Amino acid sequence: MWLIFKKEFKELLRDRKTIIFMIGLPLLLFPLIFGVAMFFMSSAAEKAESKVLKYAIVGEAYAPDIANSLSQATDKFETISIASDADYATLIKNETVDFVLVIPESFNSDVLNSGQHKLQLFLNDAGLNKVLGRVSEIVDVYTDEFQQTAFSALGLNETQQTALLTPILIEKQNVADDREVWGERIGGIIPYFIFILCLQGAMAPAADLGAGEKERGTLETLLISPMDRYKLVLGKFLTICCAGIITALITVSSMAGWGIVLSQGMAIEFVAEVMAMIGIIDFVLIFLMLVPVVAVFAAVLLSLSIYARSFKEAQSYMGSLIMVIIFPVLIAMMPGVELKGGWVWVPLTNVALAMKELFKGTMDYFALFGIFISTAAIATGLLMFCIHWFNKEKVLFR
Amino acid sequence: MIEISGLAKRFEVENPKKLSEQEKKDPRLKGRYFQSVRDVSFTCGKGQVLGLLGPNGAGKTTTLRMLSTALKPDSGKVLIDGDDVLANPIIARKKIGFLSSSTGLYGRLTGRENIAYFGELHGLDKKTIDARIEEMADLLDMESFLERRAENFSSGMKQKTSIARAVIHEPSLVVLDEPTTGLDIMATSTVMEFIQRLKSKGTPVIFSTHHLDEVQTLCDKVTVINQGQTVFNDSLEAFSALSGGQMHKSFLQTLALDTKETANVVNL
Repeated sequence: MWLIFKKEFKELLRDRKTIIFMIGLPLLLFPLIFGVAMFFMSSAAEKAESKVLKYAIVGEAYAPDIANSLSQATDKFETISIASDADYATLIKNETVDFVLVIPESFNSDVLNSGQHKLQLFLNDAGLNKVLGRVSEIVDVYTDEFQQTAFSALGLNETQQTALLTPILIEKQNVADDREVWGERIGGIIPYFIFILCLQGAMAPAADLGAGEKERGTLETLLISPMDRYKLVLGKFLTICCAGIITALITVSSMAGWGIVLSQGMAIEFVAEVMAMIGIIDFVLIFLMLVPVVAVFAAVLLSLSIYARSFKEAQSYMGSLIMVIIFPVLIAMMPGVELKGGWVWVPLTNVALAMKELFKGTMDYFALFGIFISTAAIATGLLMFCIHWFNKEKVLFR
Repeated sequence: MIEISGLAKRFEVENPKKLSEQEKKDPRLKGRYFQSVRDVSFTCGKGQVLGLLGPNGAGKTTTLRMLSTALKPDSGKVLIDGDDVLANPIIARKKIGFLSSSTGLYGRLTGRENIAYFGELHGLDKKTIDARIEEMADLLDMESFLERRAENFSSGMKQKTSIARAVIHEPSLVVLDEPTTGLDIMATSTVMEFIQRLKSKGTPVIFSTHHLDEVQTLCDKVTVINQGQTVFNDSLEAFSALSGGQMHKSFLQTLALDTKETANVVNL
C-alpha cells in the first residue's frame, strides 16, 4: 500500500500540470485575481467620486442659492443648458447630461408655511455612481439652514430640537463579541472555499490515477500484479486525499499570507486580532474535520475516475460532482440554518456549519463527535464501495 | 506446465438493441448475455511456445485475460504447475509475466523506475531488482535510455522497457497478447528475440498474434479459437500439414471446420 502511495505521489510531483493546479494556482493566481478585482473596484469608486458631473437644472429661478452652489463647484459639476420641454430620460441616455435636477415652483425657505419641498433628481442609477450623494452634499446645507430658521422661528431650545428631530431613539447594545459577529460573516464563506479547493486539488490526480491508468494501458498490468486489490485502492485513495489536503492548506495559508501583505496599517491589526481570537485548537479542529470530508471526496472521485473510459470522460463526471458538492455547503450559508436538530445529520452541511460555529467560538463540542463520526462513517462506506467497484470487471474493462 | 480446460466467460450486453445486424447473427449471443468464450482448452509444456490464433473478436484477448487473472472465468480450469489459478490468483500472478501491445508505461517515471515499481509490487527487494535491471539492460541494450522519462520513448524503447517490466519477477509462464501489433520492424524483432530467449531458457510462452510468419518461426504448438471455441489444438507440424505447408490456407481450413454454414471470415 505505501509502495503504491509512494510511487503515485512521486509521479504526481513530477507532473507539471498537477503541480500548477495544486500549488501554483492557489499561491499566485487567487491573490492576483483578488488583487485585480479590488484594484478595479476601488478605482471605479474613485472615478465615480472625482468625475465632473454634467447636469441641467430646471426651475433654477426658484432656488438660486442651490443653482449657484452647484455652478460654483466647477471641479465637481458642469452646467449644461437644456430646453425646458426636453425629455430627461433621452438626455441622460445619450449622455448629454449625467443628471437633471427639477426644483418646484413653490420652493422657498419658509418651510413652516410651505410644508416639505420635493426636488426631483433624474439619473441613470443602474451602474456605480455617487450622483445622489454628491447632490445631497450641496442640498443638505440648505436643509440644515431651513431647519435652523424654522426652529428659531418656533423658539425651541437645543434639547427640544433634538427631541423633535428624533422623538424616540433605539440604542442597540450588541451582546455578541467581535468574534461572533465576524465569525457569522466570514464563517459561512470560508468552508465553501475550503471544500471547493480540496475538491479541485484532488480532481487532477484522481483523474490521472483511475482513468489515466486505463488510458495509458497500465491498469491491466497493475491488476495482475500480486498486490491485493484493496491495497491498490488504498494507495491511490491516500494519494488523492493528500493532494486535496495539501491544496487546501496551501490555499488557506497563501490567502492569509497575501492578505497580510496586501492589507496595510490597521488592516493588519484587524487580521491579527481575528487570528488571535480563534485559538490554535479551533484551527486544529477545523483541520481534523476536513480530513473525513476530503476522504469522502477522494473516494467518490476515485470511483468516478475508475469508471470512466478516458481522462476526458472522468473530467466531465467530476465537473458535475462540483455542483453536487456546492449544494449542501450553500445550504449552510443560508440564514436560519444552524447546527441544531436535523441539520447535524446532513452530510457536508454539518461540517460547514460546524466550521462556522468554530469561527464564531460558539461551538457545542459534543456535536463535534457526532459530526466527525458520521462523516468518517460515510467516508468509510464510500471507500468500501470504491474497493468493491475496483473488483468489478464491468467497471475495469469497460 | 499449463493446462487450460473448458474455459468460458460471458458478458452482459448493456443494450441489445444497439448491436449491429452482424453481431445479432453471432451464435454466441444468448438473450442479454454475450458468450465471448464458450469452450477453450489447450496445454503448454515446459520450454514450449504456443501460438494463439483466431479472427478478431474470437475471444483471444478474453482467454488470455482469464489466464492472467485479470478476468474471472464463469467455468473451466486453469492450472499452472499444478496450482489452481482461479482458487489462488495471488500465487498465480507471481508466476505469470503478462504483456500486451496496448500496455503502457508511466510517462512521468524513468524507464528504471517503471521496471523497479513492478519489481516492488512483486515483493522483490531492492538489491535483486537492481541486479535484474542491470542484467536486462545488457541483454536488451537499454542503458542509453534507462534514466530518461518514459513519456519521450520511441515505440522500440517502450517495448523493451515493457518486456523488462513483464519478466522482472522471473515468471514461470509468459503471456503475450498481440505483442507485435502496431510495432515497427525493429521493435517487432526485439519481441521475437525475447520470445526466443525465453524458449531457450525453458520458460513456456503463450502468445496471440495475427502474423502467421511469427507462428512459423517461433511456435511449437498452435491453438486456433473461433467464436469462443477451440477449433484446432495440436503441434505446428500438424497445423501446417493441414494444407501441405501453406499457413494461411491451414488457418482458413481450421475456421471452416467449425463454421461451414456462416463462412463469413471477415476481419482477416
